[in-house]
Amino acid sequence: MALRSQLLKGVLDACVMAVVEEQPVYGYELSQKLQRIGLPDISDGTIYPVLLRLQKNGFIRGEMRASASGPNRKYYFLTDSGKMELEQIASEWLQIATPVSQLLRRGGVDEKND
Amino acid sequence: MRKTTELIEENNDKRELLNSDNEQVYENLLLYIRTDLRVDEHAGEEILMDLLDHLLEAQENGKDAADLFGDSPQAYADELIANLPSQKRRNVFWLVASGIIGLVGWFAITYGIANVVISVFTEWNNEIALGSILLILLSVSLFGSIGVKIFFKIIRSSVFKPKDQQWKTYVKVGLYGMATFAFILGTAFLFDGIGPVMHVEWWLFLLIGIALLLINKGIGRLSNEQ
Repeated sequence: MALRSQLLKGVLDACVMAVVEEQPVYGYELSQKLQRIGLPDISDGTIYPVLLRLQKNGFIRGEMRASASGPNRKYYFLTDSGKMELEQIASEWLQIATPVSQLLRRGGVDEKND
Repeated sequence: MRKTTELIEENNDKRELLNSDNEQVYENLLLYIRTDLRVDEHAGEEILMDLLDHLLEAQENGKDAADLFGDSPQAYADELIANLPSQKRRNVFWLVASGIIGLVGWFAITYGIANVVISVFTEWNNEIALGSILLILLSVSLFGSIGVKIFFKIIRSSVFKPKDQQWKTYVKVGLYGMATFAFILGTAFLFDGIGPVMHVEWWLFLLIGIALLLINKGIGRLSNEQ
């Protein structure tokens, strides 16, 4: 999946924020979680430009903590403005998600209605 | 917050745990990001550490650098750089100032030692013209900064090129180095004997040089603690 387009960028931003909101994570953990959720084609590295962008915008912040496996890792937390941003994106996404996926499935919609 | 120098040291240690293929790709990426002078140094080191930790954990799980950085590490690095905060202007000032002071410091030490060595073989006139020295310093700073900028640019353009093309880089860097040096020597030659002439002992050059390098170290420590 080439996550180049603006749309997918925005969606990925929201996915990362949603995972971070649930529980603070470090980079490797985050990529594993996204893959487990069912976004397996996101290459591991894809998350880092996203993390940088979200940090730059003040939506998440990093903090050094001891990880479960021992060594210190940079854990990412959702900030207050990140929470607001996430809610905004989530509500916009939910409005379009169902109709868009129905539309893009093409033939599929009509078949069901027949 | 971890200091930049601590991050760099930790990076040096941890990098040794990478296997040779991963190390190669990672070090290219590291060089490419570190030689981009627009990037905030601390933020750059932080993301490099994140990536190194990730790569090490991926390596344990049987993945490699291509899984992390994709097929084009350069495109990936460019994407990272685009999202990194840029170097603060105050930091840029101190970076340049420290570069110039360091350069002049080494220059003074070298000049002092050269005075001693040369005077062993031949009569050496250790009189210097104040105006000329100032012009030479100006030229060292100017051509030195331009030289470093070009040097980094050449390195960056060749980082991700195949190994068998690297010799071109060395030739280019060598030529630019020579050109820089020629410009500086040219200034010294053209503007000889300007301003009041002073008699300066070789050890004074050494002392000034050492003092400048110490000041430089102080600046480095101060800017690192910010």
